[in-house]
Amino acid sequence: MIEVEALTKRYGSTTAVDGLTFTARPGTVTGFLGPNGAGKSTTMRVVVGLERPTSGSTKVAGQRYADLPAPLHAVGVMLDARSVHPGRTAYKHLLAMAQTHGIGKARVREVIAQTGLESVATRRAGTFSLGMGQRLGIAGALLGDPATLILDEPVNGLDPDGVLWIRRLVRDLAAEGRTVLLSSHLMHELALCADRVVIIGRGRLLADATVHEIVARSERAGAVRVRTTDPEPLARELIATGAQVAPQEGGVLQVRGASVDDVGTVARRCGVTVLELSAESGTLEEAYLQLTGDAVEYRAAGTQGGAR
Amino acid sequence: MSVTSTTPGTARAAAATRSGPTFVRLLAAEWTKLTSLRSPWWVAGVTVAVAAAITYLSAQASSGDPGFQPFDSLSSGLVLAQVGPLVLGVLAGAGEYRTGAFRTTFTLVPRRWPVLAAQTLVVAAFALGLGVLATVACVLGVLPAAASRDIPLDLTAGETPAVLLAMTLFVVGLALLGFALGVILRRTVPAMVTALVVVLLLPVMLTLAGEMASEPADPASFSSTGEGPGPITVPGMLLTFSPGGAAQEMTVPASYQPVAGSPDMSPLGGGLVLGGWVLVLLAATGVRLRTRDVR
Amino acid sequence: MTAVAQGPVSERTAHGSPARTAPTGFRVLRAEWTKLTSVRSNAWLALGTVAVAAATAFGLGMFVGPEDGRSGSWVVTSGFVLAQVGFLVLGGLLGTSDYVTGTARSTFTTVPRRLPVLAAQVQVTLVAALTTALAALGASYLATAGARAGDAPALDLAVPGTSRALLGFVLASVAVSLLGVGLGALLRHPAATIVGGVVLILLGDQLLAANPGRVTDTIRAFLPSSGSRLVEDDAALAALDAATLGPRLGEWGGGAVVLAWVVVVLAAAAHRLARHDVR
Repeated sequence: MIEVEALTKRYGSTTAVDGLTFTARPGTVTGFLGPNGAGKSTTMRVVVGLERPTSGSTKVAGQRYADLPAPLHAVGVMLDARSVHPGRTAYKHLLAMAQTHGIGKARVREVIAQTGLESVATRRAGTFSLGMGQRLGIAGALLGDPATLILDEPVNGLDPDGVLWIRRLVRDLAAEGRTVLLSSHLMHELALCADRVVIIGRGRLLADATVHEIVARSERAGAVRVRTTDPEPLARELIATGAQVAPQEGGVLQVRGASVDDVGTVARRCGVTVLELSAESGTLEEAYLQLTGDAVEYRAAGTQGGAR
Repeated sequence: MSVTSTTPGTARAAAATRSGPTFVRLLAAEWTKLTSLRSPWWVAGVTVAVAAAITYLSAQASSGDPGFQPFDSLSSGLVLAQVGPLVLGVLAGAGEYRTGAFRTTFTLVPRRWPVLAAQTLVVAAFALGLGVLATVACVLGVLPAAASRDIPLDLTAGETPAVLLAMTLFVVGLALLGFALGVILRRTVPAMVTALVVVLLLPVMLTLAGEMASEPADPASFSSTGEGPGPITVPGMLLTFSPGGAAQEMTVPASYQPVAGSPDMSPLGGGLVLGGWVLVLLAATGVRLRTRDVR
Repeated sequence: MTAVAQGPVSERTAHGSPARTAPTGFRVLRAEWTKLTSVRSNAWLALGTVAVAAATAFGLGMFVGPEDGRSGSWVVTSGFVLAQVGFLVLGGLLGTSDYVTGTARSTFTTVPRRLPVLAAQVQVTLVAALTTALAALGASYLATAGARAGDAPALDLAVPGTSRALLGFVLASVAVSLLGVGLGALLRHPAATIVGGVVLILLGDQLLAANPGRVTDTIRAFLPSSGSRLVEDDAALAALDAATLGPRLGEWGGGAVVLAWVVVVLAAAAHRLARHDVR
């Protein structure tokens, strides 16, 4: 369980995180989304105690991170693939981490095997590719078999196999009742593996809901797409039934306020040939872009309002 | 995959019962971190080699003098070899911050102070081993010259044991000074430059200033205080209480005269001053670690 | 707007053609100058070096008296001992920064012949070090004005070698910076460059001076630390030459030694750059 409450973090005059509140619950994968510089990494660093909040609080497993008796067993953290000395081998890096909590070498070898690093475990981390560095970071996060995982951009730089592996891993971890908080820029990935999504923009919370709910907010969600040889009469007829129609290129109409069945019936009534007819579903990406775009517009409008 | 085999209940229950970082565990972890890098071993190897080579050459060069004493050449190799422990300490202290590895460390041990203490002890232990080896190298370095003049080198006689001990601790002290500068400055180059200037250059400057500030030697003034070193000057005081000057003091046998204008400090006094500097720097680092973000 | 009216073709040629030329020495030089001036720490380092030179000269000036046998030029240039570390670091950082930050990859894909980059870095270092050295000399002159008006000897150009020593301060400083850039480009590692440089310009000399002899004095004469002889006036040089058991370098010999070091180290760096991989 990760609880972030009214978190604000300022660096001098810039505000990185501004009154952010959300909770990542056990048994769910919580996706953490936002444009570059929105404050995702700052929030994660505050949660794991590297930085202090200017105001507000963060708790993991009901405690302040610094008060956890065994942080590695409570929280697995992967913040930045470069949190490793480039001159140290992967095995020794993990061993030193394990030694702080009295974890045996067997477990170190176990996570090396689990993350597919056996063949490079004795190589210095500075020679690793982006993907291998990422696997090493995940190995470190898994080391203490923690109930909570915080992963910053875990699929960055991974090959398709690795992406698939991560997806399955976080789903499994959540299914075991663990809390998983992961940030990613890959919307498609998040849509596939996250249960809930927390979206922030300029340090503020924009949305905190299930993936399903957020996708439903997309403009396209609930619309009907119809492609026909003769769009104009169909559009006129549909508008007459009270639907809203947005003509698009290639004889395509986007229809709101009418179901697929309705559109099909109307098309037959006015005798046009339907080439394609489907209910449109939005994507997480669209919903995200609208949300973050709105945030920027809202901010700009707010500034003007202040000036008036 | 052990992860998949655990059920929700056990995963969370286990986290509550499993123990966290203890100080002994941190020592083991920091020891692994230090010794798993190549640079400490390289620096240590070069330091010992340089100590032996320079001492050998220096003793050979002066063995022709009529008043040759192997004892006097003993610490000559450390003049160059002292760079080794300084570099070792700076790399150990600044390395975590330079490479970003500190993020891993401080998320594992969010209280932070125990990490600083464990790193200090580990650097001291490594440097102690290095100091012993470097001192042995210096002893081996003077042996050929002593043998060529048939002068037996008795390591247990007179001030020799104290000097050998002081040489070892000198190496430890410099490594800790480098470490303290490394952790407080967090960047290799500034810490390295500061360490080299403070240890190598400042004493030269202050000695020069001290000599100029001292009154020219006047035999008459010696009568009252026996063979006193003359009045103490400002540069002399600064030299004695600077980390570099204090470190140099450690390798000078207690019976030797102090530098002009400096108070007479024993090797023990020099060691205490150096230790004081290390403690002050580490305390400042500790306060900073507790009160500031690490990024 | 008129360009648009003339049509896209003429606009393309007007904008496209001047960009399609190869990197020339002058362009590489300008690029390196931009790289130098766009990193704030370089300016701070130069400023710090000037401050250290002036502060050291001021500090030593407080203690120097007429009976110490020093000249006015020594009072002004006495900050060199400490300031040379600043010049070394300045050159060393300029020589290594591309490799440390990974900028080398973009630098040498832009200029694949590579050597023009090293040449440009040397010239840029020369200009930066020259400026810094002149500023350090000026600041030291002002900082010691009070001391020279008091107990310390006055700066008298009639004292043999005084003007040469003042010029020598600038030359020796620039030489140390060039040695730094050469060592940096050769070793590609700032810590190794600084430690190596300090051993060459300072520690080696100190060590050998502790064991005077024909061999050690000869080695001393041929270390880059001989460059500091440029800063001494005639009387001090005569005293040095009288004391040595090795070769007597005279007025400009020390400068020749350090120049030879700069040339050899830069040649080695150029060889590594031209023949070996950049990572």
